[in-house]
Amino acid sequence: MNRHELLFRFGIIGLLAAVLCFIQPAPAQDVEEIVRKIDELYRANSSYARMEMEIVTPHWQRTLLMNIWTEGKEKTFIRILSPPKEKGVATLRLKTEMWNYLPRANKVIKIPPSMMMSSWMGSDFNNDDLVKEFTWQDDYTHRLIRPEDAKPELLYIESRPNEDLPIVWEKIVGAVEKERILPVWSRYYDEDNRLMRIINYSDVKRMGDRLIPSVMEVIPQDKEDQKTILRYLEAAFNVRHKGDIFSLRNLRSRN
Amino acid sequence: MLRQKRRTALTLLTIFGGFTLAAISIGWSDGTYAYIIDMFTRNRLGHIEIHKEDYLDRPSIYKRIQNYREVGGRINEIEGVDSWAPRIFAGGLASLGDKTAAVQLIGMDPELEETTTGFNKNVLKGKPLAAHPSREVLLGKELAQILKAQVGSEIVLLTQAADGSLANDVFELIGIVDTGDETTDRLGLYMNLGAAQELLVTDDEVHEIIITIHDLKHIDVITNAIRSRLNDPQLDVQPWQVFAKSFYDAMRADQQGMWVMLAVIILIVAVGVLNTVLMSVLERRREYGLLKAVGTRPGQIVKLVLAELFLITMGGVLLGAGLSIVVNWFLSIHGISLPTPISYGGADFTHMYAEITPRSLYLPAITVFLSSLLVGLAPALKAAGTEPAEAMRTF
Amino acid sequence: MWIYVKLAFRNMLRNKRRSFIAGTAIGIGLASLIFVDAVMIGMDRNMIESATSTFLGDGQIQRKGFRRTLQSDLTVQELPWIVENLQKEDIVKHFTNRAMSYATISSPANFSSIELIGVDPDTEKYVSEIDEAVSEGDYFQGNNARDIVIGTKLAEILEVGLGSRVVVTVAQAGTGVLSQELFRISGIFKFGITEMDRGMVFVRLHKAQEMLGIGDDVHSVTLVLSDPSFGLDGDLFLWEKYSRFDNEAIGWTVILPQVEAAFAMSRFSAYLVGLILFGIVALGIINTLFMSLYERMFEFGVLRAVGTRPFGIAQMIVYEAGALAVLSIVLGCILGFLVTYIMAHVGFDFTGIEYVGVTFRRLLYPVIRIRQFIEYPLWVFAITTLIGLYPARYAAKLLPSNAMRRTL
Repeated sequence: MNRHELLFRFGIIGLLAAVLCFIQPAPAQDVEEIVRKIDELYRANSSYARMEMEIVTPHWQRTLLMNIWTEGKEKTFIRILSPPKEKGVATLRLKTEMWNYLPRANKVIKIPPSMMMSSWMGSDFNNDDLVKEFTWQDDYTHRLIRPEDAKPELLYIESRPNEDLPIVWEKIVGAVEKERILPVWSRYYDEDNRLMRIINYSDVKRMGDRLIPSVMEVIPQDKEDQKTILRYLEAAFNVRHKGDIFSLRNLRSRN
Repeated sequence: MLRQKRRTALTLLTIFGGFTLAAISIGWSDGTYAYIIDMFTRNRLGHIEIHKEDYLDRPSIYKRIQNYREVGGRINEIEGVDSWAPRIFAGGLASLGDKTAAVQLIGMDPELEETTTGFNKNVLKGKPLAAHPSREVLLGKELAQILKAQVGSEIVLLTQAADGSLANDVFELIGIVDTGDETTDRLGLYMNLGAAQELLVTDDEVHEIIITIHDLKHIDVITNAIRSRLNDPQLDVQPWQVFAKSFYDAMRADQQGMWVMLAVIILIVAVGVLNTVLMSVLERRREYGLLKAVGTRPGQIVKLVLAELFLITMGGVLLGAGLSIVVNWFLSIHGISLPTPISYGGADFTHMYAEITPRSLYLPAITVFLSSLLVGLAPALKAAGTEPAEAMRTF
Repeated sequence: MWIYVKLAFRNMLRNKRRSFIAGTAIGIGLASLIFVDAVMIGMDRNMIESATSTFLGDGQIQRKGFRRTLQSDLTVQELPWIVENLQKEDIVKHFTNRAMSYATISSPANFSSIELIGVDPDTEKYVSEIDEAVSEGDYFQGNNARDIVIGTKLAEILEVGLGSRVVVTVAQAGTGVLSQELFRISGIFKFGITEMDRGMVFVRLHKAQEMLGIGDDVHSVTLVLSDPSFGLDGDLFLWEKYSRFDNEAIGWTVILPQVEAAFAMSRFSAYLVGLILFGIVALGIINTLFMSLYERMFEFGVLRAVGTRPFGIAQMIVYEAGALAVLSIVLGCILGFLVTYIMAHVGFDFTGIEYVGVTFRRLLYPVIRIRQFIEYPLWVFAITTLIGLYPARYAAKLLPSNAMRRTL
């Protein structure tokens, strides 16, 4: 499949790239507390979102519009609404099994786990991303840093994955808005301290029961003309889902 | 010379026999080597391949040859080229029922492919692809087993098109293919080139052009001719030694051995000639002694010896050349049948063939001439220096 | 009779030069037969090795159906029984266990689909050539479970070097749950074979087993046999013996039928050339013998004249041929042995073709076998004495007066 930049660690929902510690001027909350809050930002027991994924590559550009439902960590349902060629395509994930519905062929095909590791729908996301998450709280070690061009309204945190965790990054540096504890950008480095990727967060909106940056721009640094932009158009968290959303039957329906 | 018939005959026989056998062995080994290479490359890979630069190193759906028909036309004009065929590739998933498998989609022009590689003989069951674009596919036999597919099954294909969109469609399986290469048969899904281009949203472009040539000996010449004819730095033209490198390595080891064997044969022929000529000259010391006694000058004796030698050698070589050409010619047409046929892919090989090559003639000729003259010289000189009395005093 | 034998030898020794020349000529023929036989065995070996010694081995024991899909839950059954019995098999020289699966590997720069292979470094090195192909770093020194060895092409794609972090993801056998582990590049190999340099990744066996969740099970037991040619034998008892418990034991020819086919063809081709060599040597024997015997018809005529009976002459000549054969055999065996022995250690490599990108140069080493020094000498002896019958018959029928009519 295609070789896009790797957005390996991101669940469609937990498309939280880096979220980080937040340190208040007052010696109040400890780092753990802050990190936990950030972890919570995109997490919920269940969720619904309508989002746009714009993929830019040196060879083409596409924007997909889709609806996504999740429940717990093991159930995900995605329906693509646009562009017309992909309209109606749906993906269902239950635990370790995955199915795609292809309206043009009017068939459901089952994707075995070994193929879940390749990229999803040609995007930068692995099928595997539909599940996998690391938490900042449990899996990284953080410290506050002060770069040269530090802005007063931002806090900067450097995070390193804990020993032997299967994370490719050597370190991640993130900038967080002090006031609202919201991510602004994060930068990913390999062990030679090369900047490999930048994720920018912007357009903060209230969605459902929380305030989140609704636009995420993932920009690989070692490739030209390539990026992926995610925009949340609508989102609701901890909602109760109707009936049988996470079912094979639903794949073929028009929802 | 004609007086000592037996001796002459023996010398002649040695030269003639040695030459012929050496010539046949060279013609045979050259012929069969070329034959084996041809069998294994013509079938699937072709003798020469053209790709977009860098494709062989890092394949990508985006590295396509834009003007392949034009390229094909120019290739056809080059002497020694048999035929060419275009292909387009993509990785994807094929699904039947609850079975899904990773596949390599191969789009090809059925007519050109058949002319170039004889692809249709690989079709085990069902029928080959038709010339016009359609929703019909062939599967490699291992792949068909993985999917539990049979002729008539409906296969869903999912892949990413060249414009980034999701490409998917349903296809009918019309035939099952055995190319003899397990990996290919485990991944291969074949469809019409036009249909593949439509699915993959490419223009009339391809990833690969394969070329077969008439005579493998000219591979380098033709490869270079193609390069200069196309004159396009973006196109990478490579012979089979490059893109079938592992096979080449295996064959190369074999060739080494063959060369050693041929060298030994040449050596033995030389020794045989040496020996015969030497003995014949030695045995005639009396004769030379007598000649000297009646006044022949040393120089003349040398000339005599050499002239005789030359005539015999020439005679042997000519006869040998004649016979070996006939034999090699026969072997190149009819070949020798293998004790048990070797099957590979859809084909059964029953014969192996020789070739008449210049090498099979000039190598033995040089050997024979050199050895006989070399050997004739020393004794000739010695004979010239013989004391007549001493020479004649023999029993 | 013995007197003729004695005479034969004495005759031979009388004209030392002539006998020596003749003996050498035939001896060289014999030496060449021995040498070429050794070369042909070497050729066979080389071709087999080019297919098997890199990675495949002479044979493999796997679960039925595994080869097709590489499904992780299809592990080799009754492994302890297999291991125990393989150790007792005389024809199995080495074997090693492997766990294999499709996987993905990712680095900060990229990700790629690969074949993950868990190996036991200590036994693996006798079966495959990975350890020799490592061009940077090392081949599983120490015992760090997070060691990983990848190919040069893959390292390029992933933009990594020694010590870099990579994550390997596999689906666990049976459950399909994805399992990920961190590794650090400990070695980079270069086979010069694109598929391997780009698609294969090696880790320690126990780590692969852990990731795949298969406990102590393995997917393949790969064998090296005591003689490479056994791998060609489709009827070898080994395949049947170990193809039970739902396993299949197969030779490399099942996996690479095209190499076997090419190999069969070139072997046939070589045999024919070998036959031709026989013909040439026979020709050499004929003409050597004829030359040396017919020239001496005068001598034989004299012998007849003084009363030697025809049969006696015939015997003597035949014995002389035999004596010459013995001399030639001695000379030929010595020469043959020397040349073959030297080349068996030096090896042939005169192709002069560029070795860019290839880690190994496979030299051609002739192989000495006892039977070469028994069969071929016997053949030479037989031919020489048989050929000797012609001049013998001629001499027996000779009228002494004809023989003694010397001509110049």
